[in-house]
Amino acid sequence: MTKKTDISVPEGHFQSLQTRLSTIPTREQAPRGIRKAAPYLAYAASLAALVLMGNAVLRQTAVQAQESSDWDYVSYLAQSLDPDGLVELKEADPLSDDEIVSYLLASNLSVEQVNELYYEENH
Amino acid sequence: MQDYEHIFNQLVKDYSEQLWWHVRRMVASQEDADDILQDIYIKIWNALPSFRGESGLYTWVWRIATNETLNWLRREKVRAALRFTSLDDQLQHRIEADPFFSGTAAQRELFKAVARLPEKQRQVFVMRWWDELSYEDISAITGTSVGALKASYHIAQEKLKLNLSEVDVSK
Repeated sequence: MTKKTDISVPEGHFQSLQTRLSTIPTREQAPRGIRKAAPYLAYAASLAALVLMGNAVLRQTAVQAQESSDWDYVSYLAQSLDPDGLVELKEADPLSDDEIVSYLLASNLSVEQVNELYYEENH
Repeated sequence: MQDYEHIFNQLVKDYSEQLWWHVRRMVASQEDADDILQDIYIKIWNALPSFRGESGLYTWVWRIATNETLNWLRREKVRAALRFTSLDDQLQHRIEADPFFSGTAAQRELFKAVARLPEKQRQVFVMRWWDELSYEDISAITGTSVGALKASYHIAQEKLKLNLSEVDVSK
């Protein structure tokens, strides 16, 4: 361990670290996969609900809209959407950096591609 | 659960310090090393029931640690790209401003030069030079042949020699 003399460690660091690590079994009882997937499942469920709602609204209005002008159709759509739902959608929490990074990593993009896409998006 | 807890605590006792040093060298930060080690041991705890014993516990634990560290570095690389910076620059800055660094200027330059190596070469160099693992152990952990590891280590050494020859470490 002689090569490690270039970095110092606060006194008692490893002891307190080991004490913290030894509490993991009591903290981590529930299966981890479900807890980890929960936020993604919530997003997937929200997205599916939005698609289903949109589909239902379109089906309901399709017959009436055929005989109306374009403007009437748009007005009808706007009225038939729940205004609270729109406000909720607008005020929903934006995705965090962690979620964006997880998505990008899962999509197998290289760092260079990510950089390129992000650059195009912002310039 | 009792047995698993006993094995887990033994793994903490036996390997946490050694693994911490590995992670510390790879990420160049005390706080991140603490957090990553915590994540490593959470993974170990969750995977312990599925440990089949095909490899030794030592190899298995190290494999989880190195994978977790490389994944962390990969995530940081993407995060850095989103901020239009680079992970390499971040690591250089971390080493330069590290409040726990107590070595000589030459040791700091070596640390910085190692941080500039490509991920795999850096991993092999850290495991061989600082962690003092044998090629056979590194081979079992990384799944790379001993020959390929020796080649990687040699290339890393050559790059370090070249980089360090351009640096003034007389301070």
